[in-house]
Amino acid sequence: MSFTRRSLMTSALSVALAAGALVAPMSAQAETTLVIANSQWLDALRGQNLWAAIKKFEETHPDVTLEQEAIPSKDYPDRLMTEMGAGQGPDIMIVQEGLFYTLAGAEFLVPLDDVTEGVGNLNATNENGVVDGTRLGIAWQRAVYALIYNKSVLAAAGAEVPTDIDGLIANAEKAASATGAIGFTGRHSMNEFSAWFMDFQNWAYGYGVDWVDAEGKLTINTPEAVEAVEAFKAAYASGIMPIGDPMSTQRTRFKEEQVAFSIDNSGGSLNIASGGAMPSSDLGAAPLPFPHPGAHQQIFLGVSTHSDHPEVAKEFLSWLLTDEGQQALREASGPDALATDVPVTAEFEAANPWAPAFAELAETSRSTLIPGYELETTSIMRPVMTGVEKVLLGAATAEEALAEAQADISADFN
Amino acid sequence: MSTPTISRQRLTALVPYAFVAVPLAYLGVFMFWPLLRQMWMSLTDTRLMNPTKGDFIGLENYRHLLADPQFYTSLHVTVVYTLLTVIFGVGLGTISALAINRPFPGRTIVRAVLLFGWAVPNVAATLIWLWIYNGPSGVANELTEWLGLGRVQWLTSIDMALPSIMIVTVWQVAPFVMLVMLAALQSVPDEVREAARVDGADALNVFRNVTLPYILPTMQLVSLLVAVWSIRRFEIIYLLTGGGPIGSTSTLVVQIRLTAFEDYDLGLASAYGAVGLVLALLVALVHFIFERRRARVMSK
Repeated sequence: MSFTRRSLMTSALSVALAAGALVAPMSAQAETTLVIANSQWLDALRGQNLWAAIKKFEETHPDVTLEQEAIPSKDYPDRLMTEMGAGQGPDIMIVQEGLFYTLAGAEFLVPLDDVTEGVGNLNATNENGVVDGTRLGIAWQRAVYALIYNKSVLAAAGAEVPTDIDGLIANAEKAASATGAIGFTGRHSMNEFSAWFMDFQNWAYGYGVDWVDAEGKLTINTPEAVEAVEAFKAAYASGIMPIGDPMSTQRTRFKEEQVAFSIDNSGGSLNIASGGAMPSSDLGAAPLPFPHPGAHQQIFLGVSTHSDHPEVAKEFLSWLLTDEGQQALREASGPDALATDVPVTAEFEAANPWAPAFAELAETSRSTLIPGYELETTSIMRPVMTGVEKVLLGAATAEEALAEAQADISADFN
Repeated sequence: MSTPTISRQRLTALVPYAFVAVPLAYLGVFMFWPLLRQMWMSLTDTRLMNPTKGDFIGLENYRHLLADPQFYTSLHVTVVYTLLTVIFGVGLGTISALAINRPFPGRTIVRAVLLFGWAVPNVAATLIWLWIYNGPSGVANELTEWLGLGRVQWLTSIDMALPSIMIVTVWQVAPFVMLVMLAALQSVPDEVREAARVDGADALNVFRNVTLPYILPTMQLVSLLVAVWSIRRFEIIYLLTGGGPIGSTSTLVVQIRLTAFEDYDLGLASAYGAVGLVLALLVALVHFIFERRRARVMSK
């Protein structure tokens, strides 16, 4: 048997190509990079701590590298949806409940039933992660809302922690006039719609609003909703709020001890209490000054259908649900509820005396999404919040604005 | 031996086409193709979540647009914003150019200072103005309080938001107009102006009968540019107000963003874009009509 020079070269090339084809996936597997998108990566201190917590995954999985995709919260839904629509985007997304349902509706999320199979200690924060019988999301954090306040400012002004809206306005005015601080902060503009509507649910739920009746029909212009909008208008018009300031500026002002009261969630409160001029021990948290309990922001983890490594991404989620993963996340999450019940440490509680109040409020808080309309909540709340803005600017009464919103919503959804 | 000569002639004849081909390819890829895609998309129900799978729905998006009161609000805001920006931007720029056209001590420094608004990037300029307009601690409110006018809700009141945005826009646009008009003013022959003065014309008459005819074509062109830029302007408006409050600053471009990226409706957003394009073409058409009329008058 004789070989020509050409046949030898061809054989050698074939072997090299075959070897390359075999080696390529192995080396790719050896160097898998998982891109994780989250707006929290940009939070001062908290972002670094959260990232350090999940980076612990690499210690047990040296073949995987985690990479951040950090997007400012204001641009987060737009950027993510644009990337996903273009067939790109991160492997894993950490998203607010509303966006989670939008992604689920667009079939951009990989089923995760196999990840949670056999995990017996998942708590109630994971409930809305199941869409039409399929698990598409796992709880990352649940941030409950409370009335937070600066103890030093209140003490200097002789102000008290209020239990109703009139008390809030009176004490905020007292604190502002005595110390020069801003009385009360909170989102109040359509410019921050995607977060404002979630904040506003506290006022709505606080006055007993459900947004749906017993038959599941959308009911917007109820007496309770009118009362909630009028209460918000009273706070807005009283001069206690820094009109026009975006929430990021308002939080910075709180951090710099320039604010008396705010309605914020546990994540935002942790952000305020860390890395600023105000010592964490100066921060106080109390129930919302409304007759009924408020809301929580639920954040989910989901795996993209565009991911090249969905199995590795699931492996990461499985790790995150282990005691090791949850404990790592707990240390960086402050008082936020996690996917499993991991209590905060005694040291954390001692350093952050405001934290236990959030755990108590978590027992009665409600999702910001409208039951039965989870996918449509954002679209439903747009005309509602446009109406609220009209009331704030004196362009309509609460009754008129909510009646107009009801008409728009009835035409589109009922 | 004749073949190479013919080839060279042919090659020579092809050279202009080759020069034209490059910009044509650029415009084709980056302008005409996206434009055609957008026009097509405006006739479909394309969603942001699935941008390649829109179905043809004819003029449905345009019907929806014409039935939506927000469309008319956006159109009205766009026209008012564009008109007033052109009037104040070109007016202020021209006055500044006339002021610094003649020599005076410190002219170079004054020119540099006046150009500042144009030199600063849009986003940086907008952030500066956000702080100037800030309710509790902005310089603008310090000034109004000092003047006894009290605090003004610059960006959060329906009446003040659009004027506040226009102040920022004119602050940015006027220096560019000034620069262009300054170049035009320097082309006006001194001896003609001098002759007019010798004939007894006062400053206003010199400007109206000598200077203005020279700079008018430039003024028209710069007005066209400012108008088209105003129709297309996004960053300043979006960063300052996001189109609010209650849509009072929502121009067509801001509405396109809202429709495409918050309502995820690329088809309807494309229809908004098509209306914006028609508006820009109308402005260009008006310019060319004026230009043609002027050329006809000049040739008589």
